Order: sequence, then C-alpha cells, then structure tokens
Amino acid sequence: MKYLIFDAGPLINFSMNGLLDSLERLKADFNGEFLITKEVKAEIIDHPKTVKRFELGAIRLEELYNRGVFKLAKLNAEEVDELRRLRDNYMQQSNSMFKTKNKPVHLLDKGECAVLALSTIMKRKSGEDIPIVIDERTTRIIIENPGNLKKLMEKKLHTKIKANTKAYDLFKGFKIIRSTELAYIIHKKDLFKLKHPKAFEAIVYGLKFKGTSISEKEVQALAKM
Amino acid sequence: MIKIEEKNHILDILRKVKEAVQKKDYVKIKDLSNKFVHHSSIHQDADVISVAVIIYSLSKMLERDDYKKEKNFSQFYSDYLKTISNMINALEKDDHKAFHNEIETNRKLLSKLSGNLKANMKDVLNRAKINKASKIYEHGISMGKTAKILGITLWELAEYTGRTKVGNVNLGVTMELRDRIKLAEEIFAK
Repeated sequence: MKYLIFDAGPLINFSMNGLLDSLERLKADFNGEFLITKEVKAEIIDHPKTVKRFELGAIRLEELYNRGVFKLAKLNAEEVDELRRLRDNYMQQSNSMFKTKNKPVHLLDKGECAVLALSTIMKRKSGEDIPIVIDERTTRIIIENPGNLKKLMEKKLHTKIKANTKAYDLFKGFKIIRSTELAYIIHKKDLFKLKHPKAFEAIVYGLKFKGTSISEKEVQALAKM
Repeated sequence: MIKIEEKNHILDILRKVKEAVQKKDYVKIKDLSNKFVHHSSIHQDADVISVAVIIYSLSKMLERDDYKKEKNFSQFYSDYLKTISNMINALEKDDHKAFHNEIETNRKLLSKLSGNLKANMKDVLNRAKINKASKIYEHGISMGKTAKILGITLWELAEYTGRTKVGNVNLGVTMELRDRIKLAEEIFAK
C-alpha cells in the first residue's frame, strides 16, 4: 500500500480554488491512501466549519473526508503515543534549532510537526519513504536546506542567528511535493475538468495565490512542462 | 517580562506613533507597526504582537475617511489613542502589568461598539492581524506557528500570503523544479 500525507495548506488551497473534484479523481487513480493527522483535520474541517467565511470550503473538504478520499491514519494506541512523542521531539528540536540573542526562535507548530511524525511512523511500518504534500515554506526549508532558512532569517531580522546544526539531521530525508506538483500530475493524467489551453497555467497561479510557496520563475517553467 | 533594551525599542516606536498621529501620517504609522515584526518573530510575545496589531489598525482608521462618519467613531478613536498614551506611561514607569492591562483595555473597546462601526473596526483589527501574521511568516516562522501566534486561521493566512512575494525569495527555492516533478511522478507511478 502506498501513502501520501497531506499538510493542511494543500487541502485548503485545493478547496479555495475549487479543485477538490480533481483531487478525488487523482485519489481514485492512486494505488494507495491519502492520509491526514488529527491536527490537520482540525485546521481544515473542524475549526473553519465554525467560521462563516470558510464554512463552505470546510464542508466541501468534510464531504471528501466522509467519502474516504483522505483519511486519518489508522494507528493503534502505542502508535498514537509514538506519534505524540515524535511530534513533540520535532517541535522541541525545530524550536531550539536557531537562537538569536540567546533566545530560541520557535519555528514550527504542532500541526506541521505531527505531519512529520506521521510520515516517520508510516515509513517504519511500510519500509518506504512516505512523501508529504506541503505548501508552506518554513517546514520545507528546514527539511531540504535549513542553512537557507538561517540566511533568510538573518537577512530579514538583521541579526546573527546561531544554529544548532546537529538538529538539521533529524529533519533530513523527508520527501516533499507541493500543491503545484500535485496539479502537474493531475494535468498530465488529464484529470482536470477544465480543458482550456491556458487552464493549467491559471490553476498553478491560483494555487500560488492561495498559499503555495513557489516562485514566479517556477510557475512559468511548470506551465510550459 | 520585556527586557530593558526591548522596552526602550517599544517605547521609542510608540512615541513616534504618537507624533505621527498628530500629523495624521498613516503611512508612517503603518511603517512603525512593522518595526515590531522583528521582535515579534523572535520573541513571539503576545503583548508586543498585540501592540503591532493595534498600531497597524490605527493607520487604517486614519487612512479611511468613511469610518470617521460613523456615529461614535470620535469617542472610540479618542479612547483608542488614550490606551496608546497609557501604554507609553506604563512602559516609562516600567509597569509591565499596567502595559498589559492597557492592551486588554484596548481590546475591550471593540465590545462597547455596535452596528456598522463595530463590524468595520472588527474587520480592521482582523485584517491587521493577518497583515502582521504575513510579515512574521515572511521572516521565516512557519504558517501554522504564525497563525497560532496571531489567533487567525490558516485559511486567512494562506489567502493573504499568496498575494505577497514570499514565494519569490531565492533562499526559499530548495530543490530544482525538475527534481520535484520527478519525485511527484515517482509517487504517482503505477
């Protein structure tokens, strides 16, 4: 069985762009399961259902959840404990990775760390890397090039950052794609209903404008692929 | 507890805000609200973040003429400015409890309003929160963490940051697009 784990951002993004039907078709074509954590469920369904402005988007996502398009990972009690321990460790390590003026800068939240913890557990269970779909920038940079985050923060904060580079290793190896790469696959599989020649480019821009951290240059390159 | 150098920094900004209010210079006030972002990104101190939101909201109140026509706006605005003066006084006296209480008093001003003005000011404050959250995210704090610090939803933050230039920062490009596409293709290979 294959698995793909979703952070909250990509599901919110697909919902806000009215693309959830394509995600459902992609799932039908995927020989595996789309997984979320309970933290992600709270962020995409439970909480926004109480906010009028986002209620419709949350209901649309709930429909998909109820149909099993994406689901909570089936974990036994021990694995739930393990997930909590791993999540807290990722939080503790990421939130003490950078210090400035002797003060640790808190970088990640429970939701993002729980996604990493779930990927770790599912990898142990399946023996394979379990990729994650994540749109926000910070978690991705911590995984793929934490030195870049240090440089970015030094530039933005106009101050020196002291890095605990040993903590970098803990985050290495996660496989990350974004909503835009997911859209590319949907496009290549011809699973979007929109058939206009400019539709794919418009979709990628739509995803960028609803939170995918992707550069203009990447968007243009992707649209031509 | 705010450290002495941080206190002086906050005090300096608040005094400049007061000067800018007299000149009705809402652009300057908006700029000054961003001076709290560095501190907020590092310390994630709820009080300082609230002050950044209060100051940014103030710039919006000055910028928009239509709010001024609303009944009770003058009283609300005068009370709003009074809380900022009181924050300055509290910090000058190193009275952190009084500083915190003034932030609370400012927050409660909204509950005394009704009708259009209440809805408009609520909207101003919420937009200010999202604006500050977006700045903190730009500084490298994750979206989830930032949303939590400001008490907003990921939906609001994603919508706002998508319109900023966060994605175009070179240091944010951590893998060649072709490699990430290849990874996606592997994930979905039959």
